[in-house]
Amino acid sequence: MIDEFAVFDLLSPDEKLIRESVRAFAEAELLPHVAEWWDAGTLPVRDVMRRFGAMGLLGPTTPEAYGGAGTSYSAYGAMMYELERVDSGLRSAASVQGSLVMFPIHEYGSEEQKRRYLPGLASGELVGCFGLTEPDGGSDPGAMRTRARRDGSEYVLSGSKMWITNSPAADLAVVWAKNEEGVIRGFIVPTDAPGFRAPEIGRKMSLRASVTGEIVLEDCRIPAGNLLPGSGGLKSPLSCLTSARFGIAWGAMGALEAVLRAALDYAGSRTTFGKPIAGRQLVQDKLVRMATDHSAGLLLAWRLGTLKDAGRMNYAQVSLAKRNNVRVALTGARLAREVLGGNGITTEYPVIRHMLNLETVDTYEGTHDIHTLIVGRHLTGVGALE
Amino acid sequence: MKILTLVRQVPDAEARVKISGGQVDLEGATLVMDGMDEYGVEEALRLREGGAAVEEIVALATGPKRVEDALRTALAMGVDRAIHVETDQALDPIALSRVVAQVAQAEGVSLILVGGQEADWDSQALGAATAERLGWPQLTWTNELALEGDTLTGRHDVDDGNESFRVPLPAVVTTQQGLNEPRYPTLPNIMKAKKKELRKDTLDAYGAAPTVRVVGSDIQTRARLNKMIDGKDPQAAAAELLDLLRNEAKVIA
Repeated sequence: MIDEFAVFDLLSPDEKLIRESVRAFAEAELLPHVAEWWDAGTLPVRDVMRRFGAMGLLGPTTPEAYGGAGTSYSAYGAMMYELERVDSGLRSAASVQGSLVMFPIHEYGSEEQKRRYLPGLASGELVGCFGLTEPDGGSDPGAMRTRARRDGSEYVLSGSKMWITNSPAADLAVVWAKNEEGVIRGFIVPTDAPGFRAPEIGRKMSLRASVTGEIVLEDCRIPAGNLLPGSGGLKSPLSCLTSARFGIAWGAMGALEAVLRAALDYAGSRTTFGKPIAGRQLVQDKLVRMATDHSAGLLLAWRLGTLKDAGRMNYAQVSLAKRNNVRVALTGARLAREVLGGNGITTEYPVIRHMLNLETVDTYEGTHDIHTLIVGRHLTGVGALE
Repeated sequence: MKILTLVRQVPDAEARVKISGGQVDLEGATLVMDGMDEYGVEEALRLREGGAAVEEIVALATGPKRVEDALRTALAMGVDRAIHVETDQALDPIALSRVVAQVAQAEGVSLILVGGQEADWDSQALGAATAERLGWPQLTWTNELALEGDTLTGRHDVDDGNESFRVPLPAVVTTQQGLNEPRYPTLPNIMKAKKKELRKDTLDAYGAAPTVRVVGSDIQTRARLNKMIDGKDPQAAAAELLDLLRNEAKVIA
């Protein structure tokens, strides 16, 4: 493992143990299969989610009473680090279930909804997805077109959602729609509800070990009791994204460790002009840059965790950390690809897989540019976003 | 019945160890529960899960404060409670067996599980010494265990076959690779383990002082001489190679 500044020593004993245990699990159960899944462009979602559930990786911060483990957010972050060290697609599956499905049900759901859905989601018996982004653009969710209309004891939903992780495999979707007053509300939509479809999106060159789809709602009827009663306004879905982005800030450093390790191993064994390329200045420059970015990014993620656990984290800090860590991981993956030369373009090595995955991670959960504008507005008090 | 399982903390197999002042320097090395002891913890849990009347599983460790981490891992795997005999003194296996035997008696356990060998000091003596002190039978290098009432049955593999055994409890059992596949501590169990008892004890109470002291440690180095033999004249090259093997490496007569 690469941890030049002994950042993981800063975790509490149980958080350390969680990281070690998730790493051992990931190396034995996920790493041997991930390249195959990625090459085939699929993921055995149910099987993987049940295995995640058995380890307690789905919504681990959820209280024990609802099937969670009641861990700290720092532990959640360390877990995401280890999952993304294997593949961003696997971390995405855990992010969606924990931060985008279980989090809003726990935060905005009724007691009955929590008891009904959270234990199954925590164990992986139920698979959830999150429908916010629409085909017309993800960066302006307030302009959504999906509508919810009350009709007696039901809500009728119409509209479509795009780039939805796990939608083709899910049992339920947390869908965000505007009601008749134009207020954004959250709804738990069973995927077997009449009028619900989730066609799969194919031809992806990134996050291939992850199932992605659309959600199409054609007068989709759900019981009125499926409204998340505590939800209201754009801030509800955005709070879910803040939680998921927190995990990404950690996860991206896991991916960076993976590509740095691959580059170090390769540079040490590849010989040109009579000596290993690790002994060449231009190669060392790349390796040092990656190691520096990994150390700084990991410290940033760790501090984000302690702030979150102390109830002091704000959204600008999350934006700054997600923006920085994903971009340096992507840059690092490109450098590692270069160090590996021709071998850097085959999935025999993990580098190109991480590099292509990180292109998505740089864009989803708030694009790099959007996060720049969020932090910019926070610093200056002047919005350049709207 | 109660089971006692000994837990030792050793450097991770992947860790690069350093030597300083004739001692293995563990500063900065990743330390883990000895894999052999992990088999013991796992087996204790499996015996209980398999329906044996196991009332309690207790993990025991001796060593400095950091050894707590290995005990926490055992608790997170499912052990009920832990005892840490805290000391900075390194115990040889015979001294350690004195602690294990006394704890076994004080706790009233009827089965002791220890590693068949140790990743950091491969003496293989701990199980035997503990059994000797207690006057209990010992079953070494086990590959399979089952409990029926107070009778323990099992198997151990040898080079070209295996032996099956049956023994009335109490007994000391040593583990080996192939006994089981240890579980990963799950997140909920790691959190539950925080509430479990980890009792601290001092070494004084046990009268266990090591007689064997490690006075030096070295890491085997295999430096290459990188001698190149000019191959332009094959006969001369072969003659030079023979000469080097015979007179320098001294591997042929």
